[in-house]
Amino acid sequence: MTARSATLALLAFFVATLAFFWFAAPRFATAGNIENLMSGFSFVAILAIGQAFPILLRGIDLSIGAIVALAGMVAFDLVLILHWPGWLVIPAAILAATLAGALNGVLIVRLRLQPFIATLATLAAYRGLVYSISGRQLVPGLSTTPIRDPWITGLESYLDIAGTLGLSDLITLPWVPLSFFVMLAVLAGFQFMLGSTRFGRDLYTVGGNVEAARLAGIAVGRVTIVAYALSGFCAGVAALLLVARLTTATEALGTGMEMSAIAAAVIGGVSLSGGIGSLYGPVIGAFLLGTILIGLTLLGISQFVQQILTGGILLAAVAYDRVLFLRRQRRLTANLGEEA
Amino acid sequence: MDTPLIRGIGLGRTYGALTALADADFAVMPGEVRGLIGSNGAGKSTLIKILTGAVAPTSGSVEVKGETVRLGDPSEMIRRGVACIYQHSNLAPAMSVMDNIFLGRQPTGRFGRIDRRRQRADAQALMARHGITLDLDAAVGTLPTVKQKEVEILKALALDARVLLMDEPTGWLSAADVVRLHTTIRGLKADGVAIVYISHMLDEIFTVCDTMTIMRDGRVIAEAKVAEMTRPRVIELMVGEKLARDSAAAARVPRRPGGTGEVRLQVRDLTRTNVFRDVSFDLHAGEILCITGLIGSKRTELMHVLFGADRADSGTIEVDGRPVAFGSPREAMAGGIGFVPEDRHRDGLMLGLSMTENLVMATLSRFCRALLLDHRAIAARSTRSIAELAIQPPDGTKAVRLLSGGNQQKVLVGKWLNLGPRVLILDEPTVGVDVGAKAEIYAILRAERDKGAAILVVSSDLEEVMTLADRIAVMVAGRLVAIHDAEAVTMARVVDEIGGAA
Repeated sequence: MTARSATLALLAFFVATLAFFWFAAPRFATAGNIENLMSGFSFVAILAIGQAFPILLRGIDLSIGAIVALAGMVAFDLVLILHWPGWLVIPAAILAATLAGALNGVLIVRLRLQPFIATLATLAAYRGLVYSISGRQLVPGLSTTPIRDPWITGLESYLDIAGTLGLSDLITLPWVPLSFFVMLAVLAGFQFMLGSTRFGRDLYTVGGNVEAARLAGIAVGRVTIVAYALSGFCAGVAALLLVARLTTATEALGTGMEMSAIAAAVIGGVSLSGGIGSLYGPVIGAFLLGTILIGLTLLGISQFVQQILTGGILLAAVAYDRVLFLRRQRRLTANLGEEA
Repeated sequence: MDTPLIRGIGLGRTYGALTALADADFAVMPGEVRGLIGSNGAGKSTLIKILTGAVAPTSGSVEVKGETVRLGDPSEMIRRGVACIYQHSNLAPAMSVMDNIFLGRQPTGRFGRIDRRRQRADAQALMARHGITLDLDAAVGTLPTVKQKEVEILKALALDARVLLMDEPTGWLSAADVVRLHTTIRGLKADGVAIVYISHMLDEIFTVCDTMTIMRDGRVIAEAKVAEMTRPRVIELMVGEKLARDSAAAARVPRRPGGTGEVRLQVRDLTRTNVFRDVSFDLHAGEILCITGLIGSKRTELMHVLFGADRADSGTIEVDGRPVAFGSPREAMAGGIGFVPEDRHRDGLMLGLSMTENLVMATLSRFCRALLLDHRAIAARSTRSIAELAIQPPDGTKAVRLLSGGNQQKVLVGKWLNLGPRVLILDEPTVGVDVGAKAEIYAILRAERDKGAAILVVSSDLEEVMTLADRIAVMVAGRLVAIHDAEAVTMARVVDEIGGAA
């Protein structure tokens, strides 16, 4: 119940922010800008959904930026060097990303590494792997060849909803990028899994009280590995959207995106102390972040200041999460004291 | 004779040098309620953990209905119908009561979707059957502890277990709830469930159990029908003849309630909101005051306030007649309070460092000459401590990690004695310490007392309290309910008071 009201509060804050920039920032309230916001932050939202799984387990996945680059480069190589058809490239790239995520999980479970350390190490390792498999380095000339496969470029299309519905004479609505719908599909699928299946409940249990989960016979290791694999899966989906947009992949693709994804997830109310949060929050968090960044750009505030602000927003979200945690702790001790 | 529903054969478990359980045989028949009793550290919890699969034994085997089972795997034991109500909460606090009852086993329909309607109906039927009322949609973390305990009980009952283990199930329950739980137990017994009931409350054992197993120092000491046992005999078995003799001997050591009469520590109306309230007592120079009570009666929390790790909301503390308000353990140490924590591994010792380093750790500033440490003086101090405390082996360079539990504890006590505190507080000083080392630690504390030290000991081990204390204070649920002269009170009386019966 409280989780739902927290999501509603976040949604209200998002709408208020949107309204502020709508009137305050020049050219914010244009169809083109809203298209930018949707296409530019749908993949951040997908990454944030993925990031929610490790965070629900009190972990973190720092390697998603590198996994984005890895999946992107796999797609690049398969299309431009091996000339695979797009319908085969898409699942292959996502599979590569999912396996990279699962490997994170295996390292954490089998070697009992701290998630922070394990994914910091794979962040470097995966990025190195990207360079070593980079078609841009292996085959001279490819770096300037765009990806033209219709399956992949098709991901970067826009749907004229208003036009289809015959409303375009009355009102100018933004065209909705396909990536936005991909994001909605990912959200719907994973939220169903998290909220309504036993695996989802098990995930919350492991995140909330790992010992209780173990004693209830839940396979804690398997849940953990799957959570990191899902984070990788989401990074793979995001990578394809990015590659479609850029019509190429670079070795530096996705650099620093773990920051935005973690920020969006935490702003979205996924608690760093584990076991609390839904996937709606991270999606709203991602678009809130996008609204603020684009709004500030339109207000003419420098890129550097924006980076400071992103850090500041993350700090504020983490601090707020901490406050909520301490409040829960206090309530717990208050309950213990009731018998006195 | 039938096959036992659950049976442990030759079970043993060691943790490093410590033997928690040795060669224990244990069996429960269908429809039998077996009490499992023994002092802290007797091995009851280890035995239970082996039976639930939470811990794998280092030796022995477990049979359920005559079949040997895979050990150390909770899901295997759950599948075979072994459920447990744990002493400490094993719930996911952010999840609903309903989800917690069916943790990891929610009924599912198509596509793995959880069947909420069935889950709710099952939960309601379960609550109706056992006379428990809970808000199924409330997050468990928001419930009071009593209600959480009820969730824990329902969770175990929901398994339709053939074997139900209960580790101190009544620790948080009111008298009326205990009666209801006992009614439930009798119902389950009539259905042929095998029940293991751990409790420190002998009253409960004698009320609800058919048979009992008594443990001491990691071994099964005796098995008997409840009807054939008497309380004094049970206590004697629990404690062991040697300790009974020691404690008889200790009873002859003159007690010194009130010590020298000089008040070292005066506590008045000390309250920490929702934790403990109105705690008042005096601690004199030259006496040992033991504070006893159940786990969760807030003794440790009280010590944390005395030691400056937490703050009181009201009330006063005076050391040597001067009011103090310590904001941190550092201030408390400077103010003459020493605190030997309960968990020596986590809070007290640097296991990788040598005995000498541990012994002088808190007092290094005394060994400074200019900016350098005077290693000769440190070695001399350490050698003296080791001799005084009879630490084995007497080698200051040895890493503390390599010592036995009892000797580690002596190092920890020595570290604080070197500080020469006005008041020395010890929290459960002999947990995980063997009987011989216990007696030595008692002797050390008595010697300090005779030198005029004021010593405050928190202990759940009643034998320890009866042996060591000059005066005994009893804490129940955040209140100090009684203070006795140790000579003038019986163990039975203290047991009653601990249980809140007084």
